[in-house]
Amino acid sequence: MARADLHRPKLGLLLVAAVATCLGAAVFTLPRDGAPLPAVARYAMEVAIPKWHTTEPVNEIVYGTRGFDTFGETFLLLAAVVGVVVISRSKERRRTVLLEDVLASEEQLGLRGGRARGGQKSPESAAAEQEERADDSAGPPREPHSRVGSREPERATAMTVVVRGGIRAVAPVLAVAGIYLAAWGYSPGGGFPAGAVLTGVVLLAYVAYGHRAVSRIVRRNTLENLEMLGAAAIIGLEVAGLVLKGSFSANVLPLGQVQTIRSGGLLQAFSASELIEVSTGLTLVIFAFLSMGSDWTEEESHDDEHGRGR
Amino acid sequence: MILFNYFAAAALFCLGLYAVITRRNLIKIVLGLSLMESSTYLLMVSLAYRSGSTAPLLVNPPKGQTPSSLVHGNVADPVLQNFCLTAVIIGVAVTGVFLTVVVRIAQHYNSIDADDIRAMRG
Repeated sequence: MARADLHRPKLGLLLVAAVATCLGAAVFTLPRDGAPLPAVARYAMEVAIPKWHTTEPVNEIVYGTRGFDTFGETFLLLAAVVGVVVISRSKERRRTVLLEDVLASEEQLGLRGGRARGGQKSPESAAAEQEERADDSAGPPREPHSRVGSREPERATAMTVVVRGGIRAVAPVLAVAGIYLAAWGYSPGGGFPAGAVLTGVVLLAYVAYGHRAVSRIVRRNTLENLEMLGAAAIIGLEVAGLVLKGSFSANVLPLGQVQTIRSGGLLQAFSASELIEVSTGLTLVIFAFLSMGSDWTEEESHDDEHGRGR
Repeated sequence: MILFNYFAAAALFCLGLYAVITRRNLIKIVLGLSLMESSTYLLMVSLAYRSGSTAPLLVNPPKGQTPSSLVHGNVADPVLQNFCLTAVIIGVAVTGVFLTVVVRIAQHYNSIDADDIRAMRG
């Protein structure tokens, strides 16, 4: 039976109208474009040069004045990445003996008298394993009866030579621009946008050369380790301030001359770690998402037996 | 005229909310959430704006100004720019989580219609 695309549109409209009325009333109380700057913004600009030797107040706020906030957001990002990686994991081959718990309890109760010893499997276990092996060796990944979407992302092959050539020329420039954004921390940029730019470079390579070619270079294990390294560096930098200076996120690194790449001290190190964290995190999310595709549910009856309860 | 931006952000938020409430297609619900998220970026950037101001940047100040005069002068709010920067990245990752869940649901139920996802109902 065909369903209407909208679910209770009138009720939805009523609720949205109520929210819109509240938001409309709230808008008039917001500060306008002539309002004085908040004290925290003024403070950040005042301390940017004397305290951090940086000429970029936004970076000073992200990694300095509100460093604790950024610290929390970094781990929110990490949690999201871990979530995606866990949800998108493909089925792994079983490594233990099936029905191990049943066999063990029977053996403990002395029912089998040592029949299961010496590597011999019970008939139930052997049958269950054989069934699973048949499932696994049934050829290519199972297709659903009615496919939702296509499997193009996994099977995508390289694009034309024009696109590949263009991207081959542009990608190194973009990669350097991304690193520049983080390295020249005294001008607009920083680890967050730089990480997004580097992810863009990987995505361009994916578009040009296809999933298979890029996944040979962009390895999940390496990215996961790099991501954890970035997170560990951020924790180390922030906690070092607490241990050495008595304040979380306090600067413990030497401050270079103003308008040099070493000028921010801890800001620069935090920004570089954030670059690693964001670029590897977003790349992991996107590639985990693109690699999902071989775990289609086989059929409804099978689903009812095993799938629904999971 | 910054009020116009505020209203645009509120309208964008309501549009996203309407999609989340009334649509059955899970992809459209995720799109609605992304729209609501984007409205906050517009609101934060608009809140940071000050009429006639310069960027909160102490390198190469505009003619006739020094970094120290800029600190006390008319500049855009850097704190809200910070919020926007981090929110964009977190937004991408969170949308990734939503979409991954949608793909898993599609694989399990062979449908992306919210009405077909009934395993948790009673």
